[in-house]
Amino acid sequence: MEVSRRDFMHICAIFGIGMATISSAAPGGAAQISLKDIFSFKDTGNFTLLHMCDLHAHLKPLFWREPSTLISAPNLVGTPGFLCGDAFAKHYGLEPSSLDAYFDTHIDFEALAKKFGKMGGVAHIKTVLDHVRKTRGADNVLFLDSGDTWQGTGVALKSNGEAIVKAQNYLGVDVMVGHWEFTYGKKRVKELIGMLDAKFISQNIIGDDSFADDFEELIFEPYTIEERGGAKIGIIGQSFPFTSTANPKEFTQGWSFGLRLESLQEYVNELKDEHKVDCVVLLSHDGFSVDQEVARKVQGIDFILSGHTHDPSPMPIVIDGTVIVIAGSHGKYIGRLDIDAKDGKVNNYEYKLIPIASNIIPADPAGVKLVDELYAPYAAEMNEVLGKTKNILYKRDTFFSTFDQLINDAILDEMKCDISFTPGYRWGTTVLAGENILMDNVYEMCGITYPNVYTFELEGDKIAKLLEDIADNVFNENPLYQQGGDMSRLGGATYDITVGNPNGKRITNLKIGGKNIDLKKIYIVSSWGGNLQNAGSNLQKAKTRAVYDVVRDYIKRKKVVDVSNKGNVKLVDFDCGCPRKGSKSC
Amino acid sequence: MKRRDFLKNLSLSAATLAVIPTMSFAADEKPKGSNALAYKDALAAITGGKTPEPSEKVSLKVPEIAENGAVVPVTVEIDYPMTDSDYVKAIHIFAAKNGNSRCIDAHLSPANGKAMLSTRVKLGETQEVIALAELSNGNFLIASQSVKVTIGGCG
Repeated sequence: MEVSRRDFMHICAIFGIGMATISSAAPGGAAQISLKDIFSFKDTGNFTLLHMCDLHAHLKPLFWREPSTLISAPNLVGTPGFLCGDAFAKHYGLEPSSLDAYFDTHIDFEALAKKFGKMGGVAHIKTVLDHVRKTRGADNVLFLDSGDTWQGTGVALKSNGEAIVKAQNYLGVDVMVGHWEFTYGKKRVKELIGMLDAKFISQNIIGDDSFADDFEELIFEPYTIEERGGAKIGIIGQSFPFTSTANPKEFTQGWSFGLRLESLQEYVNELKDEHKVDCVVLLSHDGFSVDQEVARKVQGIDFILSGHTHDPSPMPIVIDGTVIVIAGSHGKYIGRLDIDAKDGKVNNYEYKLIPIASNIIPADPAGVKLVDELYAPYAAEMNEVLGKTKNILYKRDTFFSTFDQLINDAILDEMKCDISFTPGYRWGTTVLAGENILMDNVYEMCGITYPNVYTFELEGDKIAKLLEDIADNVFNENPLYQQGGDMSRLGGATYDITVGNPNGKRITNLKIGGKNIDLKKIYIVSSWGGNLQNAGSNLQKAKTRAVYDVVRDYIKRKKVVDVSNKGNVKLVDFDCGCPRKGSKSC
Repeated sequence: MKRRDFLKNLSLSAATLAVIPTMSFAADEKPKGSNALAYKDALAAITGGKTPEPSEKVSLKVPEIAENGAVVPVTVEIDYPMTDSDYVKAIHIFAAKNGNSRCIDAHLSPANGKAMLSTRVKLGETQEVIALAELSNGNFLIASQSVKVTIGGCG
């Protein structure tokens, strides 16, 4: 099987540059790229897997700027999962200023945003799904969702996830796994699964409450077997392995997560040996780099449909015979994977990452109507104009992004703290320079079920240790010990970082309020979205307030916000944000 | 789901050494007096200075990242016969950086049928967890894996 797979790499190489060629020949822009170009695909094999990951509840099209800094441990920099900007464009052969370059990199983002418009939106996604279902035959198509679907917008938060489940049912999701889904709490997760037409599967969530009936039992079905195009497809679910450390434990008390590669191997064997499936798929929320390690450690998986790290990967990567794909985030892409599998063997495949360009792909009218209905109860709050932004507000980048800085500015202003911590999530939104900031945008940045900003006291020594601990979660050279996010963003502080240094020795020159940190001093700290407050003392309860309210009030007071992209972190061992493989520079 | 049952049936003991620290900052505190036992000394006390052989026969299952440092599940299984003349005499588990690194000693006999132990250990900070199998012939087999204990992460 391995030999034949390698042969197919040349096939994959065709599409990634296909779109770019078209747009470079016709630099005029969106008008020159037709729906036909976006749909163009060499139909292959007997069935199609359509893949979505990390929608983060974005029912409407949005602007989403990819990172301009994506740093990892030196052994990983410049490899798929840690590519951005020019390094990304060169790796995948993107033409400058093409639609692909606009979707996949931050380069010339604002100019190209005006040219190509917004990305994603369920009504536009549906048009692509319908096209594939029509041309391939609906019985030959499966739609798989790698999770982080129910959380990330105001409409999701206000409806406790229900609006998004309705959208998934409209899109026709067949199977899903989860991560942020669990932040609605165990009871609500089960209620939402009850409303969901899709199957929710996970082999890596086990009961660990020794007084409960499900102690050491699976909480969800570990896998499902679906028949499409005459093939038996075994799909194993892998929810986010580190949910209970990355998000508050109380949401999943009694459930234990983890990679659980031993049981994963057993299920792969069971599907092949007992159920005689033709193709084994891992539907995963591990993250792109972790799944590359999974492919090295677990034998016999044919395809991994990955998620969590929000990477757009125009080409699959093949590791030890396992083909790994990941389809970006925020509804920007749908991955299309045509597979030829029969007699217990995969013979061929073809892949394309389809950009959901909302100005080119028409909206399905039923989807537009549905989204309007889902937004209607909250429209007045969501559409409130809070103010304007002078510069682009975006989320992502390893250390700093402008929308995070705005949130930290708001917290520093209201809480009068010395230092503020904002989480390094990779979901959010982008607001172009000169545009209005809506309340909807604020929820897109911080709409979570544990929104409180806590203000408390913490010794300098603990602040320094905490930053090192977070840095090791982001920059550990072994992907299995990473958690797939970015560094926490700091307000009121600056530091230098040497990413390649060992754990505990990466951060130097840490300054709070412009002065070197005093390890013995007690600082006033504000944070949200983590559990840092548990490490502090003298919590100022009266100040505790939801982050989206703090940010809303700040923007309203300011009327026009002006956040520069200068950043507050100096990178010592790299010269730029998007280094090439094996290099310290771009 | 069935497959989980065998774990319950076979596990020899489940010791919980739990005083739940809210944070891994608990590691800041100095080990307490006479209870302190460094890994090197703990190992030597069992092996008498004999070098254990790293072996794939020792399967050590621990999470890569601990969900809760106070109760980290550890399962050790030794792929070794359990006959009257040749068997695994004991399984020992160590946490290299804990104040007292010797977590558990489980003594076995051929009547156990299988050399397997499932338990929980408390880890004060990120460190190696080590499983040592003591054989009836006087030899030792060993395996280790790093477990990350983190304050919190990113979503």
